[in-house]
Amino acid sequence: MRPCISVLTVLTVTVVTLFSAVPLLAADDASFGKDLMATIALHGLPCDKVIEAKRNGDSDYTATCKDGNRYHVFVNAQGRVIVQKL
Amino acid sequence: MNGARSRRTLTSAYRRASMIGCLALLSLYGCASMKSTSTSARPAGAQVAVPTDSKQQSTAAPPPAASPNQLVASSVDDTGPSSTTSVGHPAPAATPPVPGPATSSNPVKTKSPAGERPVQQSDAAAHEPRPPPALATPPNKTPAAPALDLTDLEQRLRDTRAIGVFTKLSLKNQVDDLLKQFRAQYRGSNKHPSPELRQRYDLLIIKVLSLLQDSDPQLAAAISSSREAIWGILADPDKFEKI
Repeated sequence: MRPCISVLTVLTVTVVTLFSAVPLLAADDASFGKDLMATIALHGLPCDKVIEAKRNGDSDYTATCKDGNRYHVFVNAQGRVIVQKL
Repeated sequence: MNGARSRRTLTSAYRRASMIGCLALLSLYGCASMKSTSTSARPAGAQVAVPTDSKQQSTAAPPPAASPNQLVASSVDDTGPSSTTSVGHPAPAATPPVPGPATSSNPVKTKSPAGERPVQQSDAAAHEPRPPPALATPPNKTPAAPALDLTDLEQRLRDTRAIGVFTKLSLKNQVDDLLKQFRAQYRGSNKHPSPELRQRYDLLIIKVLSLLQDSDPQLAAAISSSREAIWGILADPDKFEKI
């Protein structure tokens, strides 16, 4: 019976961890999407909402907006944020 | 034998109870975390969707509040007295904290109408000890408002979570570009900043304010109140060199 309880405990801990971690990840994604969206807007380009952000490399992302626009957002060697429409 | 049986039944009952308790706890915790996801995720999603619209719209919205003064200021500033306008500007920015005095000024107004209300308000005043310090602050605010701490503002901008890393870097790029333009301007014969520079400066400030106003209103208010003071530094070649 003890192994059963220990398995249950592990299961409980796993599920609890999953439940508590998912909102954090979602919040991070949302804030990062907001960051990308603000960056795109600062460059005078249209984007109503970032629905997907694919990481290409360090400080290099491809953002897909809800309106269908796609942008390459990255930091160049001079430290400038560049937003290119794809 | 009966004792052993009773022990077994007790232990099995205890284990069942513990398992049921664990399951109940698990389901409760799951429900609780689901609630938190629904509450935390929705506002985040809403903020992602709405702020952009509101940002883009708000970039147009703030100017009417600020630009009328600044249009006047810029027309006056060409001659130089931007610092005088900066004294006038902080006053409206200082008004947000003033709501205390505004409420405290009501008792003064209501003292005259009737004898019943002052009694009620004196009770309210007795319950709320805050109005008296607020009454004391208004005289101090006029000299304190023009104070400008650029390093503090810069640090607060760096530390704020209202703006993401990419956005901060983009803003820094734009600030650097503007400073370059000021330097180029002051290298020439004309030592007065052009209206275009003023316009670019205003636009940049509006961008920063629109990014901050929802998530960090205090910093937005601080930047808004020191807007003219910062311009006073930028518009003066001597002060600008010291930056």
